[in-house]
Amino acid sequence: MDWRLRRDGERLIGAPVGRVDEESWRDFSAHLNAAVRDAVGASVPLVLDLSGLEYMTSKGLRALTMAKKEAAGAISISLAAPNETMRRILSISRYDMLFAVVDDIDAAG
Amino acid sequence: MLIRFWGTRGSLPVAPRADTILAKIARSLVAAGGRTFDNEVEAAEFARTKLDFATHGGFGGATACVEIEAGDDAFVVCDMGSGFREFGISASRRSAEGHPRVYHVFLSHMHWDHIMGLPYFRPAFDSGATIVIHSGHADAEAAIRRQQEEISFPVPFEAFRARFEFVVHRPWLQFKVAGLTVSLIEQDHAHGSYGFRFEQDGKAVIYSTDSEHKVEVMEAEDLFTAFFAKAELVICDTMYSLGDTVSLKLDAGHSSNIVAVDLCHDAGARRLALFHHEPSYTDADIQRMFTDTLRYEELVRGERPKLEVVCAYDGLELEI
Repeated sequence: MDWRLRRDGERLIGAPVGRVDEESWRDFSAHLNAAVRDAVGASVPLVLDLSGLEYMTSKGLRALTMAKKEAAGAISISLAAPNETMRRILSISRYDMLFAVVDDIDAAG
Repeated sequence: MLIRFWGTRGSLPVAPRADTILAKIARSLVAAGGRTFDNEVEAAEFARTKLDFATHGGFGGATACVEIEAGDDAFVVCDMGSGFREFGISASRRSAEGHPRVYHVFLSHMHWDHIMGLPYFRPAFDSGATIVIHSGHADAEAAIRRQQEEISFPVPFEAFRARFEFVVHRPWLQFKVAGLTVSLIEQDHAHGSYGFRFEQDGKAVIYSTDSEHKVEVMEAEDLFTAFFAKAELVICDTMYSLGDTVSLKLDAGHSSNIVAVDLCHDAGARRLALFHHEPSYTDADIQRMFTDTLRYEELVRGERPKLEVVCAYDGLELEI
């Protein structure tokens, strides 16, 4: 998994690329929590651009929960542009009830 | 090994109400579309092959009880939920046909839904029976005896005629019982619970229920993948969706269908049985959860071999 982070106006965009699974969830979680701290420091929302993500297993999803705890309500975290596989995983896990999910990255944040 | 599921529901026994049965019949008649059948066998064959399981059958409502028939002379069973009563009826019948009256019960923990079948367990009143209760809990005997106290039940423990033994085991230390090599793993649940690994002739069956896999300790799941390693069958607590386990059902002590799939994938297990179904779920809800799980397994399988997923129901038998 690769991770890219960029500032886009009044939001921070983190983009995992590849798979978040048993091999990569620790890296993903570390990048994600660091991005949350950056976003909180800058008082801007964090958008996760999922367009380059193949899929995420339960540990990746639970890393999202950890990130939400890290944010402690100070900023919002939203999920943008999931592929069809990720959309199904978000639905099966009911994580689409816990996080805002949008198709268009420009609509996120 | 032959695995028989006598109780697969979690927390509380449930039974379908009249309106539930009526809805199944109505759905079946609509599906039949005016077709006629010469007899009930023909009609049953149509229902079994053309209708989904939630319509022609049901997942059952008895709480946790799973028998492992391992070819040894003794009965082996996990937990004494309300399904234990039905198991007792079957075991008494088999004993009458000559099966030795020795029972090895592996108790995950002593919460009500896992011990409530004992007061109605017919072999407990058989003076020729021996019932050995294996547990990781030092206070298992106290909990079992307390259930029979007058404030909870009219028949005291002393009224049982069978000979009872309570054996406490330590996690990860293997021991042999009834031709099986057994080990335990400690699980996250109120007052603690234990999962069991049963091995025979190089094949392993895991019984892991009432086990929460918390977000804060995901590293600890490596212990579970080691415990589940290469199992032929993993019977796993899949009571909630993952989203529920991190929100509404946080700290409830249960796991999700997709964590179970991931644990089995990482452990190289061959088959997963979804277990400990939420009592408020209808058959259609459980069927939907099962379908979701099959889909999830496919989506995240990657280059691994396929994990076969089955949804346990009362009456299911699996050959290992």
